[in-house]
Amino acid sequence: MVKKTIELLSPVGSFDCLQAAIKAGADAIYFGVEQLNMRTRSSGGFSISDIQEVAAICKKAGIRSYITLNTVMYEHDMQLLQTILKEVKKRGIDAVIASDFAVIEYCRQLQIPLHISTQANVSNIEAVQFFSAFADVVVLARELTLKQVAHISKEIKRKHIIGPAGQLVKLEAFVHGALCMAVSGKCYLSLHSQNASANRGACIQNCRRTYTVTDTETQESLLIDHEYIMSPKDLCTIDMLDQLLLSGISVLKIEGRSKGSDYVFTTTQCYREAINAIEDKAYTTEKIENWMKRLATVYNRGFWEGYYLGRKMGEWASQPGSVATEKKVYVGRGSKYYPRKKIGEFLIESGTVKVGDQLMISGPQLGMAREQMLTLTVNGVLADQAVKGDKITFPVEAKITVKDKLYKIIDN
Amino acid sequence: MPTIIYYRNKCIGCGICFEMQPELWRLSKKDGKVTLLWSVAKKDLFILPVNKDLEQQCREVANACPVKIIKIS
Repeated sequence: MVKKTIELLSPVGSFDCLQAAIKAGADAIYFGVEQLNMRTRSSGGFSISDIQEVAAICKKAGIRSYITLNTVMYEHDMQLLQTILKEVKKRGIDAVIASDFAVIEYCRQLQIPLHISTQANVSNIEAVQFFSAFADVVVLARELTLKQVAHISKEIKRKHIIGPAGQLVKLEAFVHGALCMAVSGKCYLSLHSQNASANRGACIQNCRRTYTVTDTETQESLLIDHEYIMSPKDLCTIDMLDQLLLSGISVLKIEGRSKGSDYVFTTTQCYREAINAIEDKAYTTEKIENWMKRLATVYNRGFWEGYYLGRKMGEWASQPGSVATEKKVYVGRGSKYYPRKKIGEFLIESGTVKVGDQLMISGPQLGMAREQMLTLTVNGVLADQAVKGDKITFPVEAKITVKDKLYKIIDN
Repeated sequence: MPTIIYYRNKCIGCGICFEMQPELWRLSKKDGKVTLLWSVAKKDLFILPVNKDLEQQCREVANACPVKIIKIS
């Protein structure tokens, strides 16, 4: 049934996340540049000049890299779009993820492999057949049930629908991460209230708040029963991943380009282990429990299995932000590394750290690393605790640079 | 004199400033972002002093910017 053809696709919003995804075992990553991607506002973002470095890092690590160009495109974006696509072609990015027909057409002209974004809302086999003239991979709409996915996958084989590369069209689907209340992300709430279009990557996420309904006759305000009626919980399919793979999905995508390296590392690692376990026929309940626990430690709004099992209504979040069981608190930044003794030096800029603390280091070279502080030297003297302004050293495996940030992990 | 301070790097090219105040803003065809006409670049910021009678309109433009990268001081 499941062969080694499953691809795990991780979100990358910064070089920290890129390294974290590689370290955790992703097969491919996706990222966006400038303003033509769906996370323009929320992620730090790459620029055109970063494409070369991202491509080089991915090639060296032996993974594929995809670039998202999936916003609504206006006339005045065409020049920038062409500049980006030329750079993509030149640097050997493996594919473009798009939904706008201008991007699809330019990719065809420049012969750049194309993936159809979930923004295109592909929900039936005819749509897959239409897009097969341009794309080798189609990301299905997030609202499909497993049965519908399985039908589409079966029909691709039966009708022998092949993409430009000459192989059967592959199906890609989201397996983990944030969902939104709108069908395939086509939401105008943020645009209407704040003039910030979600379809240009500027979503201000006002669906994640509570709302009251006011009776205009009596001016009486009612808080809506489901407090966060527009904010669905996050998608998590690690406990039904075997069914998902059976339905014919071959690219598993994790959402979260605006999230931190700890999120990218943990989610990628858990799904990597799960895919391997299914391939080795060792997918057990104990393992699933362990993955669920680990996934709950990083950013999430509570989990549900999305629409795959045919649920009619979403499950709504119980609070506005993350319900992760752990949270990271910024304490300082890296300053030096002593490679022979494997000791890192950090400057504490906020809060305190003490011996025994769980720490996380995030940086563009090392990605993400977790360490427990076993011994601590403050300004050259052994100590139990360090405060703001102190220079501390402690043993670290990974090489520390000035770009690394040090976080303390605390229970939430 | 009120001054417009514009952080161009973060512009998403929605064009609302250009629609509201075409005499000061232009959509650049080159990179899809908006350019503040006659402004002086200072690192990543673009700065333009304007007449006092334009202040109210400039504030409305700043308020309409979806990514809040226009400030009036």
